[in-house]
Amino acid sequence: MKQPLIKSERFVQIAAPLGVGVLFLLFWEIMVIALDMPRYILPGPSAIGASLFADWPTLFRSLMITVQITLLAFAISVVLGVLISLVFIQSRWIEISLFPYAVLMQVTPVVAIAPLIIIWVDDTTWALTICAVIIAIFPVISNTTLGLRSVDPNLLSLFRMYRTSRWQELIRLRIPSALPYFFGGLRISSGLALIGAVVAEFVAGTGGARAGLAYLILQSGFTLRIPRMFAALLLIALTGIVLFALMVWLSDRVLRNWHESALKVEH
Amino acid sequence: MMQSKLKSVPPKPTPGAQTGAEKPSVNRRPVLQVEGVDKVYANGTVALKGADMTVREGEFVSLLGPSGCGKSTLLRIMAGLGDVSAGQMRWWEQGYDVVGDTGRKLAFVFQNATLMPWARVRKNVRLPLDLDHSSRPDDVEKSIDEALSMVGLSQFQHAFPRELSGGMQMRASIARALTTQPNLLLMDEPFGALDEMTRNKLNDDVLALWQARNWTVVFVTHSVYEAVYLSNRVVVMAARPGRIVDEITIDQPYPRLPDFRVSTEFAGYCRQVSQALERASALGEEASI
Repeated sequence: MKQPLIKSERFVQIAAPLGVGVLFLLFWEIMVIALDMPRYILPGPSAIGASLFADWPTLFRSLMITVQITLLAFAISVVLGVLISLVFIQSRWIEISLFPYAVLMQVTPVVAIAPLIIIWVDDTTWALTICAVIIAIFPVISNTTLGLRSVDPNLLSLFRMYRTSRWQELIRLRIPSALPYFFGGLRISSGLALIGAVVAEFVAGTGGARAGLAYLILQSGFTLRIPRMFAALLLIALTGIVLFALMVWLSDRVLRNWHESALKVEH
Repeated sequence: MMQSKLKSVPPKPTPGAQTGAEKPSVNRRPVLQVEGVDKVYANGTVALKGADMTVREGEFVSLLGPSGCGKSTLLRIMAGLGDVSAGQMRWWEQGYDVVGDTGRKLAFVFQNATLMPWARVRKNVRLPLDLDHSSRPDDVEKSIDEALSMVGLSQFQHAFPRELSGGMQMRASIARALTTQPNLLLMDEPFGALDEMTRNKLNDDVLALWQARNWTVVFVTHSVYEAVYLSNRVVVMAARPGRIVDEITIDQPYPRLPDFRVSTEFAGYCRQVSQALERASALGEEASI
């Protein structure tokens, strides 16, 4: 049966936040005009849109560099994080001995470590990637480790009764059990990889052809090109949202048949 | 480890093993013997004290008792899950050459269905065969089909566990135990979480399967009615410390049909078992004072 559009859950989910956004932009534009706000303090949405259009080649080039570092850092975090978790679950001793250092890495602000890494690593792309990995890897490690340990004890008993090898136990039981936790880690980590890439670039201040969005923001600040600053900011935010949505979609696809987090409540 | 304590003792010749038809449960060959088994947990809790019991071939034995009487502990020890603190478990291997040795001919049904939520029913059911390649039946697919049809889940083999009702999940769990064609089936309060109608239905199904397959079943429950309805023999246990205090033989023929539930004999046995249980809990309270 065809439902009226206004009653459809999906329509409301999209339309409601969109409506709020449009109202906010309108209010912003009107206030900027009404208060006669100078552009170098607060440009209106129309000015930002114009800058987005006019500066697109520069913005796009920087966007690609930031995205490249983010994705590289994210991929390294996932692979390395999962490997570290697999090592952690081999024995309590390994976990007890190493986990504090993972926490140490997580709690030390990357801004404070970044200058060192930039001195040590010649290649800027890699220096930035390493900074981003330091931030993004922790949720992967902690969530995946938790997941690999969160096995139904009865299922584990059953596996033990059939004298299953550790390998079989890992493949058939621990890894599937860990998936929901792992995907939870991915969602957080994807956002952190972007934050890491941007923060590290602020510290490194890479200019020239390898300038990412963060540098573009810095530079626009120095030259008071505030609309372009907003445009770069918008692109960073959009990148984050796209990454997050991608992770939600992926998690939903993998877990939809069995995990509570992906179940749709029927009305 | 448990295995070191599972000594393979050759069976003593049981006099008149195959002949005594009048008291079958006494004269049948023992499958396993629990001798003076204690189980003390690391925190000092005595879960089981001096448990002695024999399970015989083809028997349906229930372990009945209040929470904390060690009935599940005893069952897990029988399954080889966990160590004993004292005493020993003996497997009588004649004719059961694989029991206890590889664990393969032994099947365990847990209190909850314990299915892998990420796998479809069929994949769940075939799990024991996937895990243990050593003595797979010749036709794996056929034995899975059989197990599924025995519990009436053939139509739902491609469903995920969450799409099934609680009773159907339990059936899938039983089918999983069936695929290994066990000769000893250990069931730990398998229907405790189900509504009474589903529970009665599954009781009848298990009894029918037990008769058809010539299994030996050890069944843990806290329901007097369930224990009496199903068993040849009810082993009554008391708590603090967990121990065996009484044993009641339910001398009633099989097949036991739903009519048995409303018969005077049934009521009589239930009264007898309940009284034993009350005595057992009185003992438990004395012990805890």
